Amino acid sequence: MSLLLKNKEGDKRLLMGNEAIARGAIEAGLAVATGYPGTPSSEIIENLSRISRQAGIYVEWSVNEKVAAEAAAAASFAGLRSLCVMKQNGVNVASDFLLHLAESGTRGGMVLVPCDDPGALSSVNEGDARFFARMLEVPLLEPGDFQEAKDMTRWAFALSEEIRNFVVLRSVTRLSHASGMVSLGKIPRGRTQAQFRHAGALLDPESGPMISCLPGAPQFTHRRQQDKIRTAREIFETSPFNYYEGPRRPEVLIVASSICSLYSREAIAMLGKAGKKCGLLKMGTTWPLPEKFLQKHLSSAEKIVFVEEVLPFLEENVLMLAGRWTRGKGPKSYYGKNSGTLPSYGEMNPDLIAEALGKVLAVRRRPVRPESFAAKAGAFADNAAPRRELTFCPGCPHRASFWSIHSALKLDGREGFVCGDIGCYTLAAFPTGFNSLRTVHSMGSGAGLAGGFGRLRAFGLRQPILAVCGDSTFFHAAVPALINAVHHQADLTMVILDNRGTAMTGFQPHPGLPVNAMQESAPPVEIENICRGIGVETEIRDPFDLKGTRDALLSFLEKKEGARVLILRQACSLSPEKKKKNSFKVRVDENACRGERCGCNRLCTRIFRCPGLYWDNRKQVARIDDVVCAGCGVCASICPAGAILKEDAV
Amino acid sequence: MKPGLKNPFNLIVTGVGGQGNVLASRILGNMLALGGFQITIGETFGASQRGGSVMSHIRISPGSTWSPQIPKGCADAIVALEPAEGVRVLSDYGHDKVCFISNTRPVYPAGVIAGGAVYPPIEEIRSGVLSLVPDALFIDATEEAIKLGRPILGNIVMIGALAATRLLPLDRKKFRVAADKFAGSDSLDYNLKAFDAGRRLFQTAMSRRSRPAYPVTRRS
Amino acid sequence: MNIFGPKELMEDVILAGRCTGCGACVDICPYFGSHMGKTAMLFPCTIARGRCFASCPRAEVDLDLLSEKTFGAPYAEVPVGSHRKIFVSRSGARIGNANYQAGGTVSALLSFVLEKGIIDAAVLVDRQEGLPRPRRITEPQEVLSCASSSFAAVPVISELNRAVRDGYRRIGTVATPCQAVAAALIRINPLNEDEFINPLSFIIGLFCTWALDLRSMTALFSGRGLDLRSVIRCDVPPPPAEKFEIVTGGGKHDIPLQEVRDLTSPACAWCPDMTSEFADVSVGMLEGSAGKNILIIRTPFGEEIAEKAREERYIVLDEIPPEQLRNLERAAAAKKRRALLKLKKEGLLNTAGKGKRACFRLRPEILEKLIG
Ligand SMILES: Cc1cc2nc3c(=O)[nH]c(=O)nc-3n(C[C@H](O)[C@H](O)[C@H](O)COP(=O)(O)OP(=O)(O)OC[C@H]3O[C@@H](n4cnc5c(N)ncnc54)[C@H](O)[C@@H]3O)c2cc1C
Ligand code: SF4
Ligand code: SF4
Repeated sequence: MSLLLKNKEGDKRLLMGNEAIARGAIEAGLAVATGYPGTPSSEIIENLSRISRQAGIYVEWSVNEKVAAEAAAAASFAGLRSLCVMKQNGVNVASDFLLHLAESGTRGGMVLVPCDDPGALSSVNEGDARFFARMLEVPLLEPGDFQEAKDMTRWAFALSEEIRNFVVLRSVTRLSHASGMVSLGKIPRGRTQAQFRHAGALLDPESGPMISCLPGAPQFTHRRQQDKIRTAREIFETSPFNYYEGPRRPEVLIVASSICSLYSREAIAMLGKAGKKCGLLKMGTTWPLPEKFLQKHLSSAEKIVFVEEVLPFLEENVLMLAGRWTRGKGPKSYYGKNSGTLPSYGEMNPDLIAEALGKVLAVRRRPVRPESFAAKAGAFADNAAPRRELTFCPGCPHRASFWSIHSALKLDGREGFVCGDIGCYTLAAFPTGFNSLRTVHSMGSGAGLAGGFGRLRAFGLRQPILAVCGDSTFFHAAVPALINAVHHQADLTMVILDNRGTAMTGFQPHPGLPVNAMQESAPPVEIENICRGIGVETEIRDPFDLKGTRDALLSFLEKKEGARVLILRQACSLSPEKKKKNSFKVRVDENACRGERCGCNRLCTRIFRCPGLYWDNRKQVARIDDVVCAGCGVCASICPAGAILKEDAV
Repeated sequence: MKPGLKNPFNLIVTGVGGQGNVLASRILGNMLALGGFQITIGETFGASQRGGSVMSHIRISPGSTWSPQIPKGCADAIVALEPAEGVRVLSDYGHDKVCFISNTRPVYPAGVIAGGAVYPPIEEIRSGVLSLVPDALFIDATEEAIKLGRPILGNIVMIGALAATRLLPLDRKKFRVAADKFAGSDSLDYNLKAFDAGRRLFQTAMSRRSRPAYPVTRRS
Repeated sequence: MNIFGPKELMEDVILAGRCTGCGACVDICPYFGSHMGKTAMLFPCTIARGRCFASCPRAEVDLDLLSEKTFGAPYAEVPVGSHRKIFVSRSGARIGNANYQAGGTVSALLSFVLEKGIIDAAVLVDRQEGLPRPRRITEPQEVLSCASSSFAAVPVISELNRAVRDGYRRIGTVATPCQAVAAALIRINPLNEDEFINPLSFIIGLFCTWALDLRSMTALFSGRGLDLRSVIRCDVPPPPAEKFEIVTGGGKHDIPLQEVRDLTSPACAWCPDMTSEFADVSVGMLEGSAGKNILIIRTPFGEEIAEKAREERYIVLDEIPPEQLRNLERAAAAKKRRALLKLKKEGLLNTAGKGKRACFRLRPEILEKLIG
C-alpha cells in the first residue's frame, strides 16, 4: 500500500516534501486535487493520482493552471476540500481567476500550492509566488521542513474553512524534491456529500451565489475579504509554525522562512561559538504577518538578518511593520537582500548564510578543510571534470526535430528563426538543439510571438517565422495564439513537438492522450483536429524521418501567407513504452567511418551529438556507447558514409 | 543504531542524469531510515536530468533534521556513479579523509563528444584522486552491471560497495526491503545480484591494497 | 591550386554573393545543401582543405592549370575558349521530335552516348511541379523528357556528386559555364584523392549570358498568375525582340526582357564565360534560326563523339556562316571583358599576399589582352 494511505498514526517515514504535502491533504480529508505539471510541483498530484481509487478522491491534470484552479474552486463551492497545485509560473496563469476567487471566497477548504524554484534549477525564471498572496489578500503559509509540509497542509484546509477563503501554501524545490522524516497522522474516514447551494441571499456566504464583487460596490465583498485576512492575522499570532530558538537576548536575530530556516539553523551550528550569539525566528505564516508576535521577538536583538528565497518578501513586509514601531523600539540594523548582505537571486545555502552571519557578527569562520586541499582539488577538477552542458536525451525526438528545423531554415536561406517556449525543447536554444530557438518565454508564447512577427509583413519583415511548442503546451496556452494567428492572417509555421505526454515533468497525461491522471481511459482530443478545425493546413510527420520532415518544412516555408501546422509525432525516449525496448541495435562500421576526413568531419559526434555516440580518439572512429544509446537509429540516417548500421533489436 | 556515527554523517551520491542517482539515494535513505536514523535527502531533478550533473545530499543523524544541502568541504562519504562527477564533488565537498568510491565508467559530456572539451583518461583521474584522497577506491560498477545484463544497475553495484565499507549500517536485509519498494518485483533479483557484486568488488579491491583503508579514522 | 576549406568558401563565395548555385559543394558532404537554387551551409565544418572549396567555380580557380589539364595548354585569349571546331548543328534522323530548346543537339548527343554505353548515367535538368531540378537518368529514352531550357540556376553538379557517391564512374552532364568549370575541376581531382579519380566522362556545356534567381523567377511567374506547373517552355527570341516568352498549357505570355534581366542571379555578374569553355563540347542557339544550334567542339573526346554521332545520324552538322561566328565571338568577348574588369576592380584576380584569395588566376598578359 502507498505510504500516503498508511493509517499508522505516529509512524515515522522518509517522505519527499511533495509526498508530505500530499499526505497532509489526505489527512485533511481531501476530495479533489487538480494541477498542471511543472517542476518541482508535479509529484504532489502524481502521488495523489496513484491512490485516487483507494482514497476515493478525484485527481485531475488540468489543461492549464487557471482551469485547475477553477476546478478546485468548484469542489470547494460544493463543500468539498480541494487542493490545487502548480509551479511558480502557474500562479501567473491562474491569477486572473484567483483574484476573483479571493473576493467571492470559498466554502470547503481549498489550498493552493505553488512550488517555487529558487535558482531556476528546472525553470526559465525564479519567480517568487509569495507576492501573489499579498496581492490577492489571502493567507500564506511556508513550511520549514518535511514534517511541517504535511502538518501545515492539513491545517491549511481547516484555516481555509475558518476564514472562508483559499489559503496559499508555498513550497520550494529544496523542500518539494528533498526528503525527510515525517511522523504520520490519522486519515479521516467518511465522505462529504457534494452540493452547491446557490439559492440563498446574494451575499450569504453559506447558501448564496458565488460572485466575486458586486460592480461598483467593493464595500461588500472586498471588505469582507479583508476582514478574513484580519482574522487570519489573529490566528497567526499564536501559530505553532512560528517559533523562536536561541538565547534570550541574541546579538543577531535571524528571521527566516521555508527551507531557509533549516539552512539558517545549520549556518548557526557552522559558526561554532559565535553561533551561540544568534537566535532564529522561524516564520511559517508569512502573510499576513503576526504583528505582535514579531514585535516581541524583534525587540530582543539589535541586529536583524532576513534569510529567505528569492526576493525580500518577508524582509520588506517586516520592515513595513517595523516602520510603525521605531518610536517604541529605537532604530535597529536590518540585514538582508536590501542591504546586499545576501543576494536577491539564486538559491540560499548554509555556506552563504554562515558567511553573511560572519560578516554581521564580524567573526571569521574556521576553514572546514585544509586550504591546500581545496586549491589542489579545485585545480584538478578544472582539468578532470569538463563542464556538463544539458543535452537532449539519447534517442530524443527533439534532437531529430531540431536537426530538420535547423537544416530547413539554413536551406531556406532567408534568416528565418524559431520562437519557442518551455519544455525539454527549451534546450534547443543551445548546441544540443543546434541553437535553434531564438526566443524563449512563457508557456505558449512562442506561438504568440510568432503570430506577432507574422503580421510585420507590412513593415518589410521577410524572414520566415517558425513557432514550436510541445503537445501539452499546445493545449495549455498555444491554442488561443494559433487562433489569433489564423484570424489575423499572420504568416507562420507552427511545429508541434508531440512526444505523447508532458515529458519534461515525468509523463503526465494531457487532453490529447487516451488516459487521464487516474489512469482511466479518456476521450483524446486530437491536436490535428483542433488545428484543422480552426482552418489551418496541418501535416503530421515522424521526426525520425529526417528528410520527410525537412521537406515538409521547406515546402511550408515556401508558402507565402497564412498559418500552417506541422505535427512532429514520436514518443519521448524516456516514455514507458520506449524505455521497455530499443527499436534498433546500432553500431559503427569502423572501416566505413570517414571520421575527421573531408566528406564527414565527425558529423555524428561533433554536430549531431547524441550522447549515445562517442569519438574513439585512438582509432579515430565514431562509436556507439551501448549503455547510453537508446536505439532510435536516427544517427544512421545522418551518417554520410553509411557507417552507422542499425538492425532491428531483438 | 550504530554508536559513534558523526552527527550528521554527510553522504553524497553523484552522477549524470539518467544514471539512477535519485533512485540510489532513495534506496540508501530508506535503508538508513529503517536503521532508525533521521534522514534528510536533498536533490535536484528536472532539467539536470537531461545529461547534466546530478547530486544527492544525504544527511544521516540520530535525531535531528538537517538541511538538504551539505556545507562545502563537509562530506563524509562520496559515491560517484561517474568519475568526473566524483572529481567535481570532491573538489567542492571533499577533503583528504573523505570516503571516496567511484565507478570507472565515464559518461562523456556533450562538449567532449563534440570535441573542444577534453575528458582525461580514467587512469589520470584515478591517480589524481588518489593523490588527493589516498584511500579512494575505483570499481568497475557499470562493467559489472553489464555482465548482469542490466547496465543501469551500476548504481546498485555502487551501493553494494558502499555497504561493504561498513562505514554505515547498510546490510543486505535492509537493502532487500528498500529495493523491493522501488524496484519492480521482477528486478529485485537483479538488484540483489548487483548489490552483492558491489560488495565483492569492494572486497577484491581491498585485498589488493597494501594497507587496509577501512575503517579509517574519522575527523570528529 | 590554392585549396582552402568551407570557412573560406563561405567568406569568399556564399556570403560574398558570388555563389552561382551550381551545387559543386553540395552532396559531397553533409554540410552544404541546396534549396530553391541557392547553396547554404547547414552546419559548421572545420576542415582546412576541402573538396567543397576545391571544386567551386568561384574560389581560387587557376584557369591556366585547369586549361592545361583539360586541353594540354594554358588559358589563352580566345573569346569562345579553347576549341577544335565550330559547327551549326541540330538533331538528326535517328532522334525523334521533342520540346527542344533549339536544334536538340544536346538531347541528341546525350541520347547517343547513353545508347552506346559511353556513359552509364547522365545528369540533366527536369521540371517537377514547375520547379527545375537536377535529374539523373540511366536510360536513353529519358533524355527527351528533359529537353528545353530552364533559365534559372539549378544545382546540376550536386546530382553529379550524388551519382559519383552512388558508384557511377562514367557520367555525362549538361552544364552551364559555371557548372562546366566545376565539373572540369572535379575531373582533374585537385586533392588527388584515390576515391575520386576521373569520375566524369562527358561534359556538354551550354551557352549562357545570365541565369535567373529561382525564387525571383517563381515570384515573377506567379505574380502574373502563371501556374508554374503548366509552364512548357521559355524562350528569349533574338534582338530586337526584347522579350521573354513563356509557353504554358494555356497559351503564350510575353514579359519585357528587362524585367526578367533584373531578376538575374547577382553571381552572374562575375562570370567571364559565355560558352562553357571547359566542357567537351558546348551548345548554344544559332541566332535567327529557331531550329538550329551552334556546336563548339573542344576536346578530342568531344570531337570523337560528335563525329560518331554524325555518322550514326544522331546529329547533323553544317558549316557555320562567318557572320554568325563573328557575332558569337563578339558576344563572348564582351561578356568576358565586362566580368574580368569587375573582378579586377574588386581585387579578385591574381591577388597576392598572405590571407588574400582570388576568384580566378590567369597569366597577366592574357588578362591584359582580354580586357584591353
Ligand atoms: C540558364 C541558361 C541560359 C542560357 N543562355 C543562353 C544564351 O545566352 N545564348 C545561347 O545561345 N544559349 C543559351 N542557353 C542555351 C540554350 O537555351 C539551349 O540550352 C541550347 O541552345 C541547347 O539547345 P538544344 O535544343 O540542344 O537543347 P535541348 O535538346 O532542349 O536540351 C537542353 C538541355 O539543357 C538542360 N537544361 C535545361 N535547363 C538547364 C539549366 N538551367 N541548367 C543546366 N542544364 C539545363 C536540359 O536538361 C536539357 O538536357 C542558355 C541555357 C540556360 C539553361
Ligand atoms: S557520421 Fe559516420 S562517417 Fe562521420 S564520424 Fe560519424 S560514423 Fe564516422
Ligand atoms: S541510435 Fe544513434 S541517435 Fe539514437 S540513441 Fe543511439 S546513438 Fe543516439
